[in-house]
Amino acid sequence: MTVTNTQMPSTDRGHVGLAGVTRSEWTKFRSVRSTWICLFIIVLAGIGLSVLLTFIQAARWSQSSLQERATFDPVAFSQSGHFISQLVVGILGAMIITSEYSTGLIRTTLATVPKRFTVLAAKKIVIAVVILVVGEVTAFASFFAAQIILTAHGGTQLPAGASIVTQVKSASIPVVTIMSPGVLQAVVLSGAYLALLSILALGLGFIIRSTAGAISIFVGILLVLPIILNFFPSGFKNSVEPYMPSNLGIAMVVTTTRTTDWAGVLFTPWVAVLVLALYAAVFLLAGLWFLQRRDA
Amino acid sequence: MIDVKNLSKSYGKTRAVHDLSFTVETGVITGFLGPNGSGKSTTMRMIMGLDRPNRGTATINGKPFHEIKWPLREVGALLEAKAIHPGRSARSHLTSLAQTNAIPKARVDEVLDLVGLTQVANRKAGKFSLGMNQRLGIASALLGDPAVLLFDEPINGLDPEGIRWVRELLQSLARDGRTIFVSSHLMSEMALTATDLVVIGRGELIADTTVNNFIDSNTVATVLVRSSDSSRLNQVLAGLGGSITTQDDGSLLVTKIDGTQIGNAALSSGIAIHELSPQQASLEEVFMELTADSVDFHGTTNAKVTS
Repeated sequence: MTVTNTQMPSTDRGHVGLAGVTRSEWTKFRSVRSTWICLFIIVLAGIGLSVLLTFIQAARWSQSSLQERATFDPVAFSQSGHFISQLVVGILGAMIITSEYSTGLIRTTLATVPKRFTVLAAKKIVIAVVILVVGEVTAFASFFAAQIILTAHGGTQLPAGASIVTQVKSASIPVVTIMSPGVLQAVVLSGAYLALLSILALGLGFIIRSTAGAISIFVGILLVLPIILNFFPSGFKNSVEPYMPSNLGIAMVVTTTRTTDWAGVLFTPWVAVLVLALYAAVFLLAGLWFLQRRDA
Repeated sequence: MIDVKNLSKSYGKTRAVHDLSFTVETGVITGFLGPNGSGKSTTMRMIMGLDRPNRGTATINGKPFHEIKWPLREVGALLEAKAIHPGRSARSHLTSLAQTNAIPKARVDEVLDLVGLTQVANRKAGKFSLGMNQRLGIASALLGDPAVLLFDEPINGLDPEGIRWVRELLQSLARDGRTIFVSSHLMSEMALTATDLVVIGRGELIADTTVNNFIDSNTVATVLVRSSDSSRLNQVLAGLGGSITTQDDGSLLVTKIDGTQIGNAALSSGIAIHELSPQQASLEEVFMELTADSVDFHGTTNAKVTS
């Protein structure tokens, strides 16, 4: 029985490294159907929900309350698909590691890569890069689709620096272009928000190991935590609110300073990026700690 | 070569492996025997760097697993057959493994062919039978053409044809001069494939020897005798120092004296010998006897229902 014919490269030089393991993780990532279903939902639900909500808002501008008019942000609104896509990002981010634990594949993986850090780093690169690309595509598509809808409903550009009073009194819904102040940054950060969340979810997956557990906690952090916070005294609530991951996401895509509704509730965009990146790093490092200390 | 020294591992209060030491030599098949739950898989996981021992070391060719530069190409392991994402094809699974260790893509097709999975290479592994999964696991162990191979219960779930295939594969791998360490709870299987033997029970070493030595040193030569006059022969043989058990059918099981002595004694006493056959205790029996005290979970065949 012939066991080998293929000429193997020499084992005298080099060692298993990040490049090879990243290629391997990319192969794993793209070779299961659930990946493509998740990515499809992120894009489709992201754009679809943004379009739907913008359409509703545009159609009833004339009947909108003052409050609704005051808080309307044509950029942030165009990114409202996050409601759904952020959850799917969490599922995908957690699953690329929890599925290895549920199937036992993790033991095969760790028996081919001597340094466990390499496995975690490779998975992080794959999920972060893919979600960044998909997130940016979704963000830009949602943005342009929303502005087209707003324009079709008679939307007009407000002059730069227009006050909140101007917006509320405006007979037509506000529209922006990608070149309007702060808009490009907000759209780019919208994709980055999803990429940072995917890293956070990956860290959670390494910590929790179970798909259901990791996704539950992810949803809890994103959606349930802000609800619970509402029951706390307003002093505490107000000081903690900006740190909620979902609010960090809003802070990253809000452009207009006219929306007093958010005043004090949100960090400035780049502070929000830093805080969320810090969360992601903490979860990922905790995941690494567990990966290196626990039996596989 | 695999070298295990004073290896100990507990999971909470459960002691899985205790102060285990043995060496797996190059170029032979070493069987790793023990009842279910005796610590075989735990030991293999520690050798592969998956579980961290509480004490002791395990090295492959002198290095602990984490220091091996190209693990797949130095040591291949089949630890559990189902360790595959059910939605991924056999080819993608093997490709992803090959990429970690810079193994050429052509090698993936080669091992697929070797284990006979070429036809189903693009099918989802979730649709595979246990036997096909086992073959895929063996393919991934062979992917890097390693000199050291570990197989944990490789014949589990295989049909007779598959079992024979694994036996022949292991033998051909050993002929190449590889180190083969294969676990089983089936003594008979080891008797057929292995030359060396490491036997454990309740996580402790029972024997580290060769299969032949193991049988020889743990069995007493027994001779079965049928004759024209069992009771008289019984007395004659007892006089020669034999230890005799009379069986229900009147035949005698004699130990401590051999067939030649029995035949000569019968002739001089005028007793006709109808049958004189040395009894070879099977490896299975030896194994059962040795590990009887170290089986954690005894089953009974006579379950009584009490009210």
